[in-house]
Amino acid sequence: MKVLCVIISVVRKSLLYIGLGTIAVFQIFPLMWLVLFSLKSNQEIFDLSPLSLPPEPRWDNYLRVWNEGNISQYFFNSVIYTGISVVLTILFASMVTFAITRMKWKLSGLVLGIFTVGMMIPLHSTLIPLFNMFLRAGMINHPITIILLYTTFNLPITILILFGFYQTLPRELEEAAIMDGASIHKLFLSIILPMTSPVIVTAAIINMIYNWNEFIFMNTFISSEEYRTLTVGIQNFIGQYTTDWGAIGATLVISMLPILILFFILSDRIMEGLTAGSIKG
Amino acid sequence: MNEVLASRKAIIFYIIPALLLVVLFMYIPLILTGYYGLMEWNGMGEMIFTGLDHYRRLIGDPLFWDSAKHSLMLGLFSTLALVAYLIVSLILSQKMKGANLLRKIYLIPMLLSSVAIAQLWLRIYHPTNGIFNTFLIYLGVENPPTWLADPNLVLYALFVPIIWQYAGFYILIYYTALKNISVDVLEAASMDGANVWQTAWKIKVPMIMDIIKVTVILAVVGSLKYFDLIFVMTGGGPNGASEVLASYMYRTAFRSFDFGYGSALAFALLLVCLITTVVVRKITTLKGV
Amino acid sequence: MSKVTVIIVTSLLFISGCSQSNHSGGAVESQQKTIEFMHLWPSGSSTTHYRVVEEIIEAFESENPGIVINAEPIDNEQYKDRMTVLSSANNLPDVGFTWAAGYLEPFVEGGRIAPLDQLLAEDLKDAFVPGTVEAFQMEGATYGLPLELNIAPIYFNKSLFIEAGVQVPSTYEEFLGVIQVLLEHNITPITVGNRDAWTGSLWYMYLADRYGGASALTQAINRTGSFTEQSFVEAAREIQNLVDQNAFVTGFNGLSNDEAKAEFLNGNAAMYLMGSWDLPEFTTNEANSQEFRDSIDYFKFPTVAGGAGDIESWVGGPGVGLYVAENSDVKDEALAFVKFFIEKWGEKAVTEVGVIPATKVDTEVLDIHEMYIKILKDLNQASHITLFADVQMSPAVAQIHLNLIQALFGQEVTPEQFALEHEEAFE
Repeated sequence: MKVLCVIISVVRKSLLYIGLGTIAVFQIFPLMWLVLFSLKSNQEIFDLSPLSLPPEPRWDNYLRVWNEGNISQYFFNSVIYTGISVVLTILFASMVTFAITRMKWKLSGLVLGIFTVGMMIPLHSTLIPLFNMFLRAGMINHPITIILLYTTFNLPITILILFGFYQTLPRELEEAAIMDGASIHKLFLSIILPMTSPVIVTAAIINMIYNWNEFIFMNTFISSEEYRTLTVGIQNFIGQYTTDWGAIGATLVISMLPILILFFILSDRIMEGLTAGSIKG
Repeated sequence: MNEVLASRKAIIFYIIPALLLVVLFMYIPLILTGYYGLMEWNGMGEMIFTGLDHYRRLIGDPLFWDSAKHSLMLGLFSTLALVAYLIVSLILSQKMKGANLLRKIYLIPMLLSSVAIAQLWLRIYHPTNGIFNTFLIYLGVENPPTWLADPNLVLYALFVPIIWQYAGFYILIYYTALKNISVDVLEAASMDGANVWQTAWKIKVPMIMDIIKVTVILAVVGSLKYFDLIFVMTGGGPNGASEVLASYMYRTAFRSFDFGYGSALAFALLLVCLITTVVVRKITTLKGV
Repeated sequence: MSKVTVIIVTSLLFISGCSQSNHSGGAVESQQKTIEFMHLWPSGSSTTHYRVVEEIIEAFESENPGIVINAEPIDNEQYKDRMTVLSSANNLPDVGFTWAAGYLEPFVEGGRIAPLDQLLAEDLKDAFVPGTVEAFQMEGATYGLPLELNIAPIYFNKSLFIEAGVQVPSTYEEFLGVIQVLLEHNITPITVGNRDAWTGSLWYMYLADRYGGASALTQAINRTGSFTEQSFVEAAREIQNLVDQNAFVTGFNGLSNDEAKAEFLNGNAAMYLMGSWDLPEFTTNEANSQEFRDSIDYFKFPTVAGGAGDIESWVGGPGVGLYVAENSDVKDEALAFVKFFIEKWGEKAVTEVGVIPATKVDTEVLDIHEMYIKILKDLNQASHITLFADVQMSPAVAQIHLNLIQALFGQEVTPEQFALEHEEAFE
């Protein structure tokens, strides 16, 4: 009998792993494909099957992209815009969510509603009025414009993600802190923020992905080479009549690497935060 | 304590930055868009006031209704996909080896920009040497479907990469929420004799219900405004078979230079999102959760 | 408290640092004039075009000290978006590229673009091939000066023709016969990427031309004629006839032009109707094997028995042209640059880039591939060049036309409906 139970549980476990593993292959397959096609020429990309190995790896795609594509400047810009916007978004979103969930005031529902509705605003429909606004302010082609816009457009979704999480936080800690004489600011900074670090990291990852790959605002508001980012850099390789897919592949791989690495590093931090939290809790 | 938590000054201080940004850069342009929807404007010349003409035209426009239908279908599929994501997250959140790695792998598609994803799936769907059709031909199917060229299939064909793109995102959110359920509760449950399924559906899911509700709204609204892959992969074609609201609006404004009608469409998109959200909210509250 | 403050302060410092560098740049530049120039040829995708543009810019700057050109290359799709956004804010760059006719119209009507007639009257008089500048003229004034001239032949793969034992068709009936034989030999007769519907539009346009005569289409578009005329319906019916016969590559409505072209380049398809801008692929582009390039030739779209069109009538026309912004604050300099660019481009286009400029080309002095000589000769004896339909039409109507082309090829509309909806599009 026991043997049967063990067998069943082993079978179940293996099925589980096979299932999850298949999904993983399905998800990781594009990465492999991307690397493969970044090493092929245009013809090879179209002719051969997606998974075939390149006849000779064309590392010159990468060289070309680095030299002609002005990649280092774009890379730097991507990092700056993404980094600053994410910090600001998380900060402002935390502040608002804190106020809505923790503080007592009548209009909290309304303010939450404003942000929820804000999420439904499709980017493209605000493009022209926004462009006019910034044009009048003389801020077209300026990094601050991009940072402001990225920060703003990520606020609704970040707030929503934080909101769900904030609801689950126990109130006892606050009560204790306040009775100990802590001010609102101390409460926010020393207690709430650290406690929400798992969801902050999650939101940060989500914001980073969005900002790093963002395209429309970058394309509309920035015209000088010195302020452009990697996503727009890809466009350099799409011509009027032909497209250099190998170079695009190389650019995409280069632009994907930092996010990938950062993601792997940060998600370990989530685990740290979580385990620390559960020990305390 | 209540005084501390109700301090006017503090409240204002904490909400001002986010509120200001959102009102200034999202709401005001939106109102302007609605305003432009009342005009006949090609983006450069004068704006001629036409009142509700555009909105009337919208109601009678078959392309509008088709795009709206497509967007709503996408919303439906995305919501159904959430169930799958939830199941995967529930499995992952058990103590199992490799959960960490798997979670990271699942998120990879989201790291890619839409250009990359579009290109990948265009290759997969290629009528003669794409992966699906190569496989079908190998199995002896003579005329495998032309996924992106067939008006009946194209929309469904597009759903797949979109859902695949966002899998990691939702799995990440659910996983974080699940991991945050206090260990004590789970221990208590297992001590009471609850097995894995019961723990999952009767305890874990209800405890993260708020988050689930949030993801439903995210999925629905995200689908309604979805644009990227559809525009790059099919351009809304063939002949509007895969057109969604956002791509229809974009094309009208930016390619046909009809900003008046384009703005009206943009505004209509907003209304559709609002109405859908209210409906979704009502449904989820009715369920008693 | 401290950590957060540090981050905020650092960010602010950084941002202010950015603005500083902006200012110092500005101070130096006020002595010289800057021309903002936007073009369609990024270095990554259009390497030779880009290089020649840079050479021209350098030459201009050295001949005109005190003028600096700020060039910004953007790819096709983004370029159109950029034009739309910039023009709505009346902030177009001093010099830029534009397409002709229908595309140009809104910008002219909106007063965004300056007339260039003085250049035509003086320095560039007679420089252009007749018929090319007209496409950029509106209400008697010229708003753009063309850089490219293209016609669309049917490229074909000689080896595949030999394999199937077929000859180049001179009549449409022979053409249909060729298709049949190719199919019998399991060779894809024609490749077309109709997801980019302008490619299917080329097929339709030629049929309309051969059935209805050279001016029929232009008249229908400028409203002195009608789309419901018999010849247009016949042309539409013929397209569906070709689809029924499997003349086109599988899944054409879902293939992009690039994907369709790949079928031709890898020897899977025998024929490919495309513009002469693709000549480099079959002549100078080293990425395609010498063997392949040697096996490609072209023929003119065959004539239909009893139709009004003749074999020397082409679909094609000027490509992009240069414009000058109406509110440019360096207009004189911009005009000088345009003139300079057109002249130098005319000299270098064929030999260095492999494209045909809109200015007259003297084939005697040039050392070029024979396909170019052939095309230029054909260009010279062309009886008529009908501009691409989606360029002639205004953007809104063009969009409808392209949708209808997809529907026609996809057998979703009848030829009669196709014609009717074109008429309705103009209302």
